[in-house]
Amino acid sequence: MTYDAVVIGTGAGGAPLLARLAKAGLRVVALEAGKFWKPAQDFATDERAQDKLFWNDERLTAGNDALAFGNNNSGTGVGGSTLHYTAYTPRAQPDDLRIRSEFDVGEDWPIDFTDLEPYYDEVEQFLGVSGPSPYPWGPVRKRGYALGPLPVNKAGRLMEQGCRTLGIRTSPAANAALSASYYQDGVGHRPACINRGFCQAGCRNGAKASMDVTYIPLAMHYGAEIRPECFVTQFRRDASGKISEVIYVRNGQEERLHCKNVFLCAGAIETPRLLLLNGIANSSGQVGRNLMAHTALQIWGEFDDDIQPFKGIPGAVISEDTHRPAQRFGVPTDFVGGYLLQSIGVMPVTYLSQLARGRGLWGADLKRAAAAYNHVAGINILGDCLPYAHNYIELSDEKDSRGLPKPRVYFSNGENEERMTAHADQIMRQIWEAAGARNVWAFPRNAHVIGTCRMGHDPDTSVVNADGRAHDIPNLYISDNSTFPSALSVNPALTIMALALRTADKFLMSERAKE
Amino acid sequence: MTDIRAILQTDLVTEPTRHVLTERLNAPRRQPAFFTADEFALLRAICDRLIPQDDRSDAERVDIAGGIDERLTENKSNGWRYDEMPPDRDAYQLGLRGINQSAELVFGKPFVALSTEQQDSVLKAVQALDSPDSAWQTLPADRFFEELLAEAVENYYSHPLAQAEIDYVGFADAKGWEL
Repeated sequence: MTYDAVVIGTGAGGAPLLARLAKAGLRVVALEAGKFWKPAQDFATDERAQDKLFWNDERLTAGNDALAFGNNNSGTGVGGSTLHYTAYTPRAQPDDLRIRSEFDVGEDWPIDFTDLEPYYDEVEQFLGVSGPSPYPWGPVRKRGYALGPLPVNKAGRLMEQGCRTLGIRTSPAANAALSASYYQDGVGHRPACINRGFCQAGCRNGAKASMDVTYIPLAMHYGAEIRPECFVTQFRRDASGKISEVIYVRNGQEERLHCKNVFLCAGAIETPRLLLLNGIANSSGQVGRNLMAHTALQIWGEFDDDIQPFKGIPGAVISEDTHRPAQRFGVPTDFVGGYLLQSIGVMPVTYLSQLARGRGLWGADLKRAAAAYNHVAGINILGDCLPYAHNYIELSDEKDSRGLPKPRVYFSNGENEERMTAHADQIMRQIWEAAGARNVWAFPRNAHVIGTCRMGHDPDTSVVNADGRAHDIPNLYISDNSTFPSALSVNPALTIMALALRTADKFLMSERAKE
Repeated sequence: MTDIRAILQTDLVTEPTRHVLTERLNAPRRQPAFFTADEFALLRAICDRLIPQDDRSDAERVDIAGGIDERLTENKSNGWRYDEMPPDRDAYQLGLRGINQSAELVFGKPFVALSTEQQDSVLKAVQALDSPDSAWQTLPADRFFEELLAEAVENYYSHPLAQAEIDYVGFADAKGWEL
């Protein structure tokens, strides 16, 4: 049997596309490295037990600002990293896609905001994104959010208070978790969020729109097949250069699928890793290059109030006033691009582990700081990042448990990211000071790996075209955050999903044109 | 302090949560399978300084070192490793040796034989890269210390008794939370 499409990976890049292709009547199968969880019985409210949701195959991490993986970034299991994303779903703004036009550095996207806009709309309505209508930033929307915003937790209230004092506008954020129960054809009823605050360790009741409770059931409704615990290792190509077989390992045994088309949706590390392992789609030499990671500095403070930072959607409040801070505040900045501000709640082990790494506290000092856990609240940024030649992924000589080379990832912030972070550090400290914080401390970090197989018009400088199709291999598409030409100043998940639907539609149109 | 055992028996805790927390609460202290007896005693002594548990009876002490031994025995990863560090198993063996050598070079005794003040000064020097160089030629001392501390903290604060110590009750969320 030959499948019309094999989709590799079931996260934000794979699942929406899988559903679209299945709905069009194609014979499709998704291969997923991880398990197909049953959240109600498999998910405990315990961070340690839930580390099964993270991509824990070891990655080597290098550079001045070496990236953390595991609980930071990729996920494993049907649903991919959406199993442990915070469900924060702001849209990119139109100028995010035109960094080079605006600042003469970085890269423009080969598509416009107007290409994404209808898909943003569709994804938000399908997932049941909860958010304010109207939304204060970006172009006027054709439709409001599907549901009203989720309740704001204490960290969010404190951010609102601090920002009000400083004249920074805030709003309840858009989150892909349900503020009321929601029904979708092909999916059924999903219940409202119960404010567990455990989004980053797995949602128990299906309120959070991870792919396993949204696009995957939709895809299965339309006949898609899901094969969990299948790790893809090789592609076989026919005489014309097209991929004709996908080879994967299940239960230690090699199996293969015959296919007409392949959609690689394994995320910005495993996607280029698989291409590099197979030595394909890389005539540009750009596979694994242009790796970007969002600036994501966190500022934590302690408050007199009982915060209980584990309660409620973690990212409850947003401000995009810092999207282009010079325009908003009339004070020139020394960096390009911009960032958003976000209030953050946190689970205890995550917080205390960061405290250990970030402040190096131990002994009595650690115990004292840990005792304040119920009184901490945070703010963080999520900001753009430029592509640099010094940031990339390569295959190392060290082998993993499957006998495949471990990826080595280089990341160092450039001057631009350092300046942006310094700007944000100052603003966030002012907000927390105005809100009455004590013992304020900063945890420097970068989040989300982006851009390792970027899209563009020129086959010499990009890996896929504007439709997501590989320049080198006509039946290979990539749909995940690796194709982003720039990092955007927002969390990537919503844009990955929107782009996935667009890629599916472009593919279906080209198939129809062949008929 | 929260009475964790009582809460775990209530319907405020879901069955999967009760299962993992009860298992962790009742786990026996581990006999090392990866570390030698000497290495394990040294690791225990270090963990006792990083996260003191002097106020707990022996039976109630969280087995931080046992958790590290268990992970290394299974060769499990948390998904990443600093490129400048050797594989985790090697790093722990080299790092423990480095801490002991630092103790010998500065105080003329192995780490476990030092006073707690002396132990703390050895650990501070390791963390701040002020240890004698000869003990740390194959391993960056500050990175090792960061990894060890982070793992010790994650092991400790994953334990229900440590969570009770900081009044964390987030696991009792079967009915969700009102905001």
